[in-house]
Amino acid sequence: MRAVIGNYTIRIERRADLRWWHTVVASVLAILVSLFLVGFAFLRAGADPLEVYREIIAYAFVSSFGLPQTINRATFVLLAAFALIVPLRAGLWNIGMPGQLYAATLAAFGVAYAFGAKASVNAQLNGAIVIPLMVIAGLIASGLYGAIAGFLRGRLQVNEIVTTMMLNWAMLWIVAHMIREGGPFMGRTAEGEGFTLPTAIRMPQILGLPLTVYAAVLLALVLTWFLAKTTLGYRIRTFGESPRAAEYAGIDATRISTLVFVLGGMFAGLAGLHYFTGVPGVYKIPKNYGEFADFSFYGLITGLIARNNPIAAIPVAILFGGVSGGARFMQGKLRLAFGIDYALLGVLMIMMVAFQALAQYSVRIERAVTAPARQVGLERGESRVESPRH
Amino acid sequence: MGGDGAGRIVLEARGITKRFGTVVANDHVDLTIRAGELHAILGENGAGKTTLMRILFGELQPDEGEIYLNGQRVHFRSPRDALRQGIGMVHQERKLIPAHTALENIVLGHPKTRPILNLKEAERDVQALCERYGFRIPLHAKVWQLSEGEKQIVEIIKELYHGARILILDEPTSVLSPPEIVKLLESLTKMAKEDLAVIPFITHKLPVVLEYCDRVTILRRGRVVAEMETRQATEQTLASAMVGREVMLQLERVEVPLGEPVVQVQDLWVRDDRGLFAVQGLSFEIRAGEIFGIAGVAGNGQEPLAEALAGLRPVERGSITLSGRDITRAPVLERWRQGLGYIPTERRDVGSIPSFSLVDNVLLNYHFEPEFSQWGVLATGRARALTERILQEYSVVAAGPDAPARSLSGGNLQKVILGRVLSRRPRFLIACLPTHGLDVGAAEFVQQRLLDAKREGMAILLISEDLDEILALSDRIAAIYEGQFTGIVSAREATKELVGELMAGLRRERV
Repeated sequence: MRAVIGNYTIRIERRADLRWWHTVVASVLAILVSLFLVGFAFLRAGADPLEVYREIIAYAFVSSFGLPQTINRATFVLLAAFALIVPLRAGLWNIGMPGQLYAATLAAFGVAYAFGAKASVNAQLNGAIVIPLMVIAGLIASGLYGAIAGFLRGRLQVNEIVTTMMLNWAMLWIVAHMIREGGPFMGRTAEGEGFTLPTAIRMPQILGLPLTVYAAVLLALVLTWFLAKTTLGYRIRTFGESPRAAEYAGIDATRISTLVFVLGGMFAGLAGLHYFTGVPGVYKIPKNYGEFADFSFYGLITGLIARNNPIAAIPVAILFGGVSGGARFMQGKLRLAFGIDYALLGVLMIMMVAFQALAQYSVRIERAVTAPARQVGLERGESRVESPRH
Repeated sequence: MGGDGAGRIVLEARGITKRFGTVVANDHVDLTIRAGELHAILGENGAGKTTLMRILFGELQPDEGEIYLNGQRVHFRSPRDALRQGIGMVHQERKLIPAHTALENIVLGHPKTRPILNLKEAERDVQALCERYGFRIPLHAKVWQLSEGEKQIVEIIKELYHGARILILDEPTSVLSPPEIVKLLESLTKMAKEDLAVIPFITHKLPVVLEYCDRVTILRRGRVVAEMETRQATEQTLASAMVGREVMLQLERVEVPLGEPVVQVQDLWVRDDRGLFAVQGLSFEIRAGEIFGIAGVAGNGQEPLAEALAGLRPVERGSITLSGRDITRAPVLERWRQGLGYIPTERRDVGSIPSFSLVDNVLLNYHFEPEFSQWGVLATGRARALTERILQEYSVVAAGPDAPARSLSGGNLQKVILGRVLSRRPRFLIACLPTHGLDVGAAEFVQQRLLDAKREGMAILLISEDLDEILALSDRIAAIYEGQFTGIVSAREATKELVGELMAGLRRERV
């Protein structure tokens, strides 16, 4: 786009090469602008924005209760982000994190149930056997649940967004059936939540954090390597960039689609295992399981903001994990109106996404009227024969 | 042309210079156009044709230099200015509304049109124009029903109707079949005689230039390197001036002793995307050391045929045999392992991935080979070495093996694809439009490599819309029309006229 004002030309163009620091700068700016904008809402609510932000940060990133909560939530979001990233590298959209994470959770609790875990919190079980079985069952279940959408997409061109959304609803009703009154996983207090895992088969911890937290960070590294260096990663990227080139190269569409959804499902599944079998104070499928379904969609935003980069997703996940918990705490402590924490999160997300989009463009101001810079590429060498003006 | 006392000068450019950053796209270009002449501007891609054309048409302003129209100095601030002064331009891409009729498109935007159209009157004027220059166009047909050639003529008529006296044509021959080119050029010659000036900008098709144009101006690297009467020029001098070195236009067709049949195709039927039979019972065989050329206007079944052979499109009926093995239903990779090589028509998005590095692009044909994938991990060192070798052997101009494919020009990208496929030493090569859109130098290089491959005993299926190329390279030529061969002739008996008629479906030999 080009606008001429007097002797100056203002030109807005898509960047040819988006550097990582463009994204970083855009994200930081997005955070600052959001805080500024939402500040007016806090002023209107009679609170001092600076105090509000101080409270949020103090709780989420400093306090000994808030910090572990931030990390655990961030892990959940991060794993959900991986569930988006891997299929998206193949050009496919996984919106099925809720379904997949509860597929894993139900399978894991199913294993525990089979071992008689429902009887008592003090049930004598061998964690060294049952915990791995729970994890394996969970990963298989979520992988298979993901595979449905991937296979249908690859073989029959069924839109994966629609499939995964519908599978979410199916799974949420199954969860309701399992944990509500009369359901097999019903807790002893009959308050619409699942039974509590016995202490013997809860996810082990290191430094007070469940193993899944470390697994998630490790996974970010492994995933980056997998996508960049392995043959399968190459095929996934190829298919994502151009399905027709992939076909030319003999890459099987059904196989790749199914594979990325199996992997994506497993990562979402791991998020479920992490939160419901690993996070201290949870250890059950809670009454508000629907809120965690919604929370897994933060993974979607995180993956997009991180531009499909598993490592870049880590700071974004920490931001959302921290702000979501911290804002809620602040709202209670300062006795502000209900929902103002959501306002902050909402504006933050919109700004992050908007600034990512803006980061793709460069703005330049030039004196005097000249030609669009595209022309340079066009005239240098013998370039772009096929259609120079596209 | 205007004869010896050539017409008066209508358009003159003096010392046109245009820079983009550090790149000098036009370097003191002088150009003189006379009334009544067909004056071609020749140059390879990147020689500065587009820039010059856009300056003449008012889309760009020169940094230095002047433009004179009928002796008066002019400044075009926009294409609208240029149009008002009688300069019309026909772009390479069509700018017509497909759902409207040809007449409606021609009238659109004319100053005479009022809110309530008087098509009757307009039709009379347009009809008169057509008769004068010998255009035959169904004025009431919707544009989407017209062929590429007809659409181009609609645009020419539109420019004339809007008052153009000087007509700039951007690559007018690039999308036309040989008979259409002849028709177009005859009309253009007629137009030029009527005291109009016609300036086609051309990258390829040198024989056409020689036959129909009066004068040529040749650009290379932004400069005018030659201006001459076509009477004095030969194809050789034109090509050498364009490229800046000697070019072998007459490819040396080597006769190599034919080997065993490598590919046998029996009664092949293939459907296109709409479910119609695009390939209707084709049978042929290609021997080792033979180039079998398929000539045809685009869309007569060449593409589905190539895709079916490469395993990208299911075969409805018939069989394909490669080195004695039936591969009719074999998956893509099995065919590649059996010795198939395929250069697809679409260089970008099928033959390569623009955002990928050249190494990753080379891997498109290697990722399934055990040497390049050990324990599921890509052997990047080997892939890089191979890429570097290809870049060197095919003298590809690129920043290096890590450069993204999109940074390469069409010619260089095609060299990478060709090098990648040939490095597998296939027994059977399918080459679809291998030189389409390439300039003379790169095209010559690619053709030479195909001949080398043939000399080494490869069986090659060459699909091309460029009849000259087919005639120059092939040992046998099949003309395809609506999914069927209208004739298969050997190189010795093939003439341009014969194959041209066959591919236009005007004539049918027993196959």
